[in-house]
Amino acid sequence: MAGKGAKSSASAVKDQPRPKSAEPAREGELSKEQLLEMYTLLFKCRQVDERARLLFRQGKFKGNFYSGVGQEATHVGTLYGCRPSDWVGPSHRDMAAAVVKGAPVRDIIAQLYACQASPDRGKSTPAHFGHKDYNIITPSSTIAAQWQLVTGVAFGLKMQGKNDICFAYCGDGATSTGAWHEAVNFAGVHKLGILYVVQNNLWAESVPLRLQSVAKNLADKAVGYGMPGVVVDGNDLLAVYRVTQEAVRRARAGEGPTLLECKTYRWYGHSEIDPAKYRPKEEVEEWKKRDPLARMEKFLRDEKILTDEKKAKIEAAIKKEIDEAVEFAEKSPYPDPREAFEHVYGEE
Amino acid sequence: MGQPVTYIQAINQAMHEEFARDPKVFLLGEDIADGGVFRCTEGLRDKFGEERVIDSPLAEAIIIGACTGASLVGMNPIAEIQFADFITPGVDQIVQNVAKLRYRSAGAFQPHLTIRICTGGGVGGGLYHSQENAAWFAHEPGLKIVYPSTPYDAKGLLKSCIRGPNCYLYFEHKKLYRSIKEELPAEDFTVPIGKAAVRREGTDLSIFTYGYMVQVSLQAAERMAEKGVSCEVVDLRTLLPLDKETILASIKKTNKAAVVHEDKKTMGMGAEVVSIIQEEAFDYLDAPVWRICGPDIPIMPFSPPLEDAFLLNPDKVVRELEKLAAY
Repeated sequence: MAGKGAKSSASAVKDQPRPKSAEPAREGELSKEQLLEMYTLLFKCRQVDERARLLFRQGKFKGNFYSGVGQEATHVGTLYGCRPSDWVGPSHRDMAAAVVKGAPVRDIIAQLYACQASPDRGKSTPAHFGHKDYNIITPSSTIAAQWQLVTGVAFGLKMQGKNDICFAYCGDGATSTGAWHEAVNFAGVHKLGILYVVQNNLWAESVPLRLQSVAKNLADKAVGYGMPGVVVDGNDLLAVYRVTQEAVRRARAGEGPTLLECKTYRWYGHSEIDPAKYRPKEEVEEWKKRDPLARMEKFLRDEKILTDEKKAKIEAAIKKEIDEAVEFAEKSPYPDPREAFEHVYGEE
Repeated sequence: MGQPVTYIQAINQAMHEEFARDPKVFLLGEDIADGGVFRCTEGLRDKFGEERVIDSPLAEAIIIGACTGASLVGMNPIAEIQFADFITPGVDQIVQNVAKLRYRSAGAFQPHLTIRICTGGGVGGGLYHSQENAAWFAHEPGLKIVYPSTPYDAKGLLKSCIRGPNCYLYFEHKKLYRSIKEELPAEDFTVPIGKAAVRREGTDLSIFTYGYMVQVSLQAAERMAEKGVSCEVVDLRTLLPLDKETILASIKKTNKAAVVHEDKKTMGMGAEVVSIIQEEAFDYLDAPVWRICGPDIPIMPFSPPLEDAFLLNPDKVVRELEKLAAY
């Protein structure tokens, strides 16, 4: 299946089959409203991320920030239309997944601020957003550890006969770990309902892909685990969405997992303290030309779905939500120091 | 009381009864469906089906990772690590996810599982089938570590783990599997986590120990009694958290103490027991606290005289206790 889905946005949409089930957002042809909704989500992910970078550079929150700008289509394309009861296993660069899954922006900003209002009450760093209400698992920093956990969630869901599914995210570096392979193999053996999303952005921090793997495509690793491996242009929102639909159908039907490799690029350094001088300028510029947001905008304008007026309205609404979120987080106090000693054990 | 049962039968019974009590209980591990290499899981698959008694791929990290994740959606997992020696590929999951997920999410995610780990030497298992490494994990708050030394505790502690809300490492010593028998109550019972047990009352010195070394210490205490020294033997049972109350009550009574463990001496559980005693009962001590432990060599060697050189036995323990008693 490698290569499937790497078509242009327009044809990806027109190739959608006619609606067959009661899940229009997943299986049906995307309506104009849905296309606009996807664009709005993409725009929102970008804006939240850029604001987070700004806030970090202004010294508003401590620690570090791992921008996912440039990679947002991998989140919107895979999670758009998922169920609230589906689960997400993010890594450190997947704040956008939380946005798409529906986590309130104010909770996300509060998490950056490590304040009382944060869903984790300031326990984890800005890189580790999780939210129980939205089934987003707070990740660890040991790369691919989250794949093991979310694979376990898929295992537990299957044992209970539920057809909620899981979405796991990682970068290219994670595919070198034992944890990654053990998880993917296990999901193959048990035909788990999970979509593994590898965001191949060519660089694991400063290590180039050629020193990570010589596989032609990272999705080719799926062959070893008896599941489809799909390569898609991760900067083409509708292409990602389109290939996801088959993976989601398989997962919900109990036919097993899919490994999806999204070829994409992070615009900025590994984190805000990384100037990323290891990457050639031309490479960065070339990838910025393939900006997923600009591509989606162009498509919607060509299709006469988006106008300047509509865009301004969307932008204003996003800005308002983010402004309110920042205000909310700034008003929330730090947690009481005594909370450092809480949440170690459950009551026996 | 029923028929006397062995330690391994007690573990098997606990699992049978908990599988029957809670349909969310399942077992995942290597070679378990057919009864296990020690026959610990005998009969479970036939009774409860292969959907609940699942042979895993040969991959310890995902055994633990899959169980942890499954617990987040309401399952009640038991993971089996066939030999403590093989737990190393799963350490990332235990340390980074199992021990920390509840904390790092401020209690939003509450993983709970029981990891059964077959441990210990003295059966000719050689380097990689003999290690006793519970102490590695005792440095990780978020975990609870239990280590039964009797059939009663094996059953009661395992039930407490399976019913509990936390993440439990349950160490079971392979030399105990068939070497001791005990009559168990016919009715359901549990053993509380975090409580040590005084196995033998004494007045002259206290022995703090766990696992197979409880048996060795009891034999040593018997021999010391013949020499006129009254030893109290305290079975720690839970290694994390340690039962400070019982440890301190014993030392305040006897004023002398030894810690006895099979595991290596340096940075072992004994060091922590000694620290608790000197911090909280210094004025009660009539002698330094003795550490009678495994040697600081990398691993238990295979050849019988080499294995014997590693392992403690009643003779070795008595020799040290005599010095302590004479101090």
